Amino acid sequence: MTETTTTEPWLDSNQKPYIQIVNATKKFGNFTAIDNLSLDIYKNEFFSLLGPSGCGKTTLLRMLAGFERFTEGRVLVDGEDISEIPPHLRPINMMFQSYALFPHLTVEKNIAFGLQQDKLPDNIINQRVEEMLELVELTDFAKRKPRQLSGGQSQRVALARSLAKQPKLLLLDEPLGALDKRLREQTQFELMDIQEKLEVTFVIVTHDQEEAMTVSSRIGVMDSGKLIQVATPTQIYEAPINREVADFIGDVNIFKGIYKGQDEKGTQLLSEDSKSIIYATQKVDVPVGNRIWFALRPEKLEISKKLPEVDCNILKGKIEDIGYGGSFSTYHVKLENGRQLTAIRANRERTAEHHLTWGDEVYLHWVPHSAVVLLS
Amino acid sequence: MNIKEIQVPSFLRRAFNGRNAIISIPYLWLLFLFLFPFIIVLKISLAQPVIAMPPYTDLLKWGESWWPTIQASLDSYLFLFSDSLYIHAYLSSLKIAIISTILTLIIGYSIAYSVARAPTRWRGILLMLVILPFWTSFLIRVYAWIGILKTEGLLNLALTTIGIIDKPLIIMNTDLAVYIGIVYSYLPFMILPLYANLEKMDMSLLEAAADLGCRPLKTFWTVTIPLSLPGILAGCFLVFIPVMGEFVIPDLLGGSQTLMIGKVLWGEFFYNRDWPVASAVAIILLAILVVPIMFYQKSQEKAIS
Amino acid sequence: MKKFGNFNIAALVIGFSFLYIPIILLILFSFNESRLVTVWGGFSTKWYGELMHNQGIKDAAWVTIKVAFISSTVATLLGTIAGIVMTRFGNFRGRTLFSGMIYAPMVMPEVIIGLSTLLMFVSLAIDRGVLTVTLAHITFSMCYVAVIIQSRMSSYDDSITEAALDLGCTPFRTFMLITFPIILPAIVSGWLLAFTLSLDDLVIASFTSGPGSTTLPIKIYSMVRLGVTPEINAVSTILVGLVTVGVVTASLIGKRQKQQLAQS
Repeated sequence: MTETTTTEPWLDSNQKPYIQIVNATKKFGNFTAIDNLSLDIYKNEFFSLLGPSGCGKTTLLRMLAGFERFTEGRVLVDGEDISEIPPHLRPINMMFQSYALFPHLTVEKNIAFGLQQDKLPDNIINQRVEEMLELVELTDFAKRKPRQLSGGQSQRVALARSLAKQPKLLLLDEPLGALDKRLREQTQFELMDIQEKLEVTFVIVTHDQEEAMTVSSRIGVMDSGKLIQVATPTQIYEAPINREVADFIGDVNIFKGIYKGQDEKGTQLLSEDSKSIIYATQKVDVPVGNRIWFALRPEKLEISKKLPEVDCNILKGKIEDIGYGGSFSTYHVKLENGRQLTAIRANRERTAEHHLTWGDEVYLHWVPHSAVVLLS
Repeated sequence: MNIKEIQVPSFLRRAFNGRNAIISIPYLWLLFLFLFPFIIVLKISLAQPVIAMPPYTDLLKWGESWWPTIQASLDSYLFLFSDSLYIHAYLSSLKIAIISTILTLIIGYSIAYSVARAPTRWRGILLMLVILPFWTSFLIRVYAWIGILKTEGLLNLALTTIGIIDKPLIIMNTDLAVYIGIVYSYLPFMILPLYANLEKMDMSLLEAAADLGCRPLKTFWTVTIPLSLPGILAGCFLVFIPVMGEFVIPDLLGGSQTLMIGKVLWGEFFYNRDWPVASAVAIILLAILVVPIMFYQKSQEKAIS
Repeated sequence: MKKFGNFNIAALVIGFSFLYIPIILLILFSFNESRLVTVWGGFSTKWYGELMHNQGIKDAAWVTIKVAFISSTVATLLGTIAGIVMTRFGNFRGRTLFSGMIYAPMVMPEVIIGLSTLLMFVSLAIDRGVLTVTLAHITFSMCYVAVIIQSRMSSYDDSITEAALDLGCTPFRTFMLITFPIILPAIVSGWLLAFTLSLDDLVIASFTSGPGSTTLPIKIYSMVRLGVTPEINAVSTILVGLVTVGVVTASLIGKRQKQQLAQS
């Protein structure tokens, strides 16, 4: 979505945030689920809350919907404080993880349900239901009961039902979690199309980092009730702010070591693994001698049997394991000190000219530009 | 949906009170008609019998002073312990309840197990056949046995006709008849929780045990029985606790020598009209049963949530 | 792995014979011409005819039906609320006591419940009669209803109610439009159970009834104490028949509902 959002409102100080969560705290007894969290979300964003289970992302979503009360803090939608408004009066709708379709009502009655609560005239309700059915391509299924639908169809009914009232904000709790992989990937694009077409602000909760990367304008990575990093998918992937984020989003190789200063090749790190200096272009502002880390994505590690013709960032190892993934292969390479790194190489050649196999002695190498320096 | 029109505090106050009001309807009903009566029973068990209506003295006596004097007496309890009839009745109830619970468990387990292992299309009808007697009148089901067990009843008639016995068996009005009646009447209470448990049991566990070289009978003892323990416990509580205070079965099928505390309580109340002693009998029975009842409540709550 | 073997068949045949032979014999002998229970004197429906002339039994049956109808209806109302409170109201003050009061009456010996309820009525100077029997029956049968409702409520996803609230439905309308239709089958079976419990009860009714509120079980009990007669068999057969028809119908309706939902 980053491409379609022509402007990036969070960078523009003149833009007013649409949803403002201010110092939100939620406690269940002694357990703090949400810990003094603040977040601004802008109009028409597709915002993902990403984190491991139990990090508080669903609690935060339920607080926005009104099912959980704020222990402290508040939430503003379009400048209005809605923290004390009960769920049925909030201009926010939610799509539930279990879809929560009413089992005794047909598809069209499910979709019409929210509109009927607003006491709209029948012809308007019917028209809106028809539009929604068309939007999710379920016109032929209008008279079915939820039990007669497949998982993908149920998911679309749930989406149509939550969108029917044209909410200011749509909350989606693991909307694709119950679908199989293929359907999930296809539905991700459908979701993005619908969000764009209807111009509704989406906040989605997911534990699937690939899904978050695909659909979001921005991602908020959460852990233990706090936001660790809020940024675009590219930034989160390419410039994670700490090891935790780096580790959670995709595979990563982390090099631990001591900061030795800067030179023309970049930041110097005395690696614990190779006992040699390795480089990253990114500059840091910490005293020499501090402990720092380099993070390197597996696809940025080049693997070869020949010694690369560069003057730095070369590590020697032996192939321990190969995972064949079709378009690419994953290599687990054991360094001399026993440390194992992961490298990914696209399988460009069908023949075995560059064939690497178990036990091969290989060199790993990366350009200083691809390593990310982490301070914590 | 105009947000400004909502007056927040009033909504919250209403929701709060509405919630409590809903809880209070069944709560107050049970407090008043279930719990409060026990306090009355306790009170009357501490009173003295008199010939009047109601036939007991008042616990609080309002005299000349501002404060009532409390006239509690432990006479009823002392009486229970001085007369061996009552202690025997408690012990005999306990014995009958334990033995019949075990008998019901053995028979009930065989049936529940067989129903749970029956082909799926039969299970519905078999379960229905178990439930049906559970819905039919307790009294009628006990009554049905009188015609069978009597000395000149159908069982003796059948056995003498076949020629197995030449003298009729005396079963009616003995403890044996009571056991038959209890097992028969309480069997559905045992089968239902057992079946619910056994039916859910993952058959692949038994296959895994067999695969690992466990013989069928051993699998039954080391896998099936331990896994069905919650069902066994629930069933045993459902039989043991009410049987301890059973009245109808010992009264109709048992003889004069069959002592059960439920029958004693009934007699004290309806024939002797000694309400304080009847209350004391109830209080002590309750004291015996309070622990099993609490266990039962815990296990049921766990099963549902 | 363990197949449905000979042991299982034997257990079912013996078990069900044990459960059903007494009832079948009871029904059979209600059609016996002879007054003697062990001698078959030919088929006859004369005992049913005699029942029709027994005013005592007819009065008792009327009282029983009245009590059962009112008590099961009120018990269903109270029990449904209690079941919902137990599943959807989270933690509240005195919850443990509440759940204790729900579960205890189901196992508590009837003599204790009967005695305590009666003593309370006496101490409040409430005359024994139809009212007291009805109140006592409501109290113990509402607990059965509460448990049935509770297990239905906990077997469906609470996010369905949240979804209704989220779509702008008020809490009360949510109950009427969503929760009630979903738990309706449980409410119906709760009512049926409460009705038969009241219909069958002897002990509690004996304690709490007064002159003029003799229920059918009390009447049957007093007849049974005088001996086995074909007349009692006839009343019993009618009761067994009614309950059987009710339970079978209820379960058929339930089954058809399930099938309708399962069919695509």
